[in-house]
Amino acid sequence: MSLFSNKDSDAPKSQAELLFEAQKRKERLFRTNVAITWGILLFFLVYLFSGPIDVDTQFIRDNMLFIAGGLGETIRISILSIIFATLLALFAALGRLSTIPPIYALSTFYVSLIRGTPLYLQIMFFFLALPQVGIRLPGLWAGVIALGLNYGAYMSEIFRAGLASVGKGQREAAMALGMTPTQTLKRIILPQALRFAIPPTGNEFIAMTKDSALVSATGFVHELMWRSVKVGRAQFHNLEALIMAAIFYWVMTIILSYLQNILETRLAKGDR
Amino acid sequence: MVPIVKISNLDKYFGHLHVLKNITLEIPQRQVVCLIGRSGSGKSTLLRCINFLEEPSHGSIEVDGVKVEGGEKGAQHRQLVHDVRLKTGMVFQEFNLFPHMSVLENVIEGPVIVKGMDRKKAIELAEQNLDSVGLLFKKDEYPMRLSGGQKQRVAIARALTMEPRVMLFDEPTSALDPELIGEVMNVMKKIAKEGMTMVVVTHEMGFAKDVADRVLVMAEGELIEDAKPADLFSNPKDPRTKALIDRYRNDDN
Ligand SMILES: Nc1ncnc2c1ncn2[C@@H]1O[C@H](COP(=O)(O)OP(=O)(O)O)[C@@H](O)[C@H]1O
Ligand SMILES: [Mg+2]
Repeated sequence: MSLFSNKDSDAPKSQAELLFEAQKRKERLFRTNVAITWGILLFFLVYLFSGPIDVDTQFIRDNMLFIAGGLGETIRISILSIIFATLLALFAALGRLSTIPPIYALSTFYVSLIRGTPLYLQIMFFFLALPQVGIRLPGLWAGVIALGLNYGAYMSEIFRAGLASVGKGQREAAMALGMTPTQTLKRIILPQALRFAIPPTGNEFIAMTKDSALVSATGFVHELMWRSVKVGRAQFHNLEALIMAAIFYWVMTIILSYLQNILETRLAKGDR
Repeated sequence: MVPIVKISNLDKYFGHLHVLKNITLEIPQRQVVCLIGRSGSGKSTLLRCINFLEEPSHGSIEVDGVKVEGGEKGAQHRQLVHDVRLKTGMVFQEFNLFPHMSVLENVIEGPVIVKGMDRKKAIELAEQNLDSVGLLFKKDEYPMRLSGGQKQRVAIARALTMEPRVMLFDEPTSALDPELIGEVMNVMKKIAKEGMTMVVVTHEMGFAKDVADRVLVMAEGELIEDAKPADLFSNPKDPRTKALIDRYRNDDN
């Protein structure tokens, strides 16, 4: 019925147009329903902690700033780690393509070792185990190295796919022009592979902001998680403290995902 | 006339597959040679041996006085191969333009990066060549936004801007929609007229008839016929050549 009550159209619409509009309307309805449900769930969550579950709003007000103060450290460790991880991943991916046995071996050995052990263990290793042999890394750097090594191993797959996405015709065209293998890699292969790898690297970065919480266990890096556990434990308000940290992480990942989406649309638009 | 390309006793194996069998061939300067033959007969491999995209197993290649023995290794060999590549331009069936660079950047990449040419001078030269293939107005476009015919013309300009002595074409129109073949063929005719030495692998018999000075026929890794186009098409010697020509005739009808 509503399909035919369109006021601003005098001319009768074609079957295809009507179908298209119906489709659009369906999509809009779906999105509205999703948004409403999100609202209800959010409302319920807020309600839960404002009535049935007793939270100490005074504690929240008092410690808000202290916990928020960890945001900077969380972001800093994530950025440094993702840079380190990206470099490692790139070398691991190139190593994987190498025809020189020791280089290929080094790359696969690294990836296997790191993927075969828990991230939590790796972090502890750099904080707790290394000092035993006399290597004492500053807290932040131990965290960055552990996270970077771990993510680098996983991300090498991304770069491998990126390098594989560059067809062999590209290499041949470069060689036919007289480019050396190094020039070909630098000017032709890597720029295309890196472009391919940007969106998935963004995903890894978002994941890393959350995994950086594991670094708090060492007690040396005063990021979000460490701060919320500290004040929560000290004042028996773990509930409030962890909820606050959760909100910070959540909002942060929502913002990052949003930026990631913008970046992806940009890249897709400029796609050549 | 002095040969600018000299291929002597060339053999190429892929594993146990004997793809080129003792090929000997001289191509004089300014000659336009068409290389025809059934798919899998070794045309691409022969062409790619000339600029060492494929390393010959035995025999030698000489381009404009630079002689390289096949199947060797080492720094000296690499240097010779590099010298040969500077003297040859290649155009691929799949264009192989660099998608992350604009048309102009594609064309100046070789001169600037490989030859170390001054950027300004490279741009000047590139614009001349883009103009000559009729695409100067697309110089700031990216390859993705060009038609197949335009891409191939840019690829030709890119190869020409290296100022090669010989141009190698491997089925330059085979990936194109029929209506775009003409524009690429016209550019190739123009280059031929300007005196470029060309080796063209093609299925376009019209081009072979009208433009080529010489047609080579390959079958199972051997050159089975080497003749002027008029003679070859009117009076093929080898039955395999005759079969090939008949096939093309039927395709045209
Ligand atoms: N890189 C390669 N590895 C193995 N075999 C190949 C390779 N390239 C070509 N060949 C084989 O060599 C023969 C000649 O191929 P090609 O020169 O491409 O023929 P054409 O260009 O005449 O169609 C074919 O049998 C083909 O399968
Ligand atoms: Mg071929």
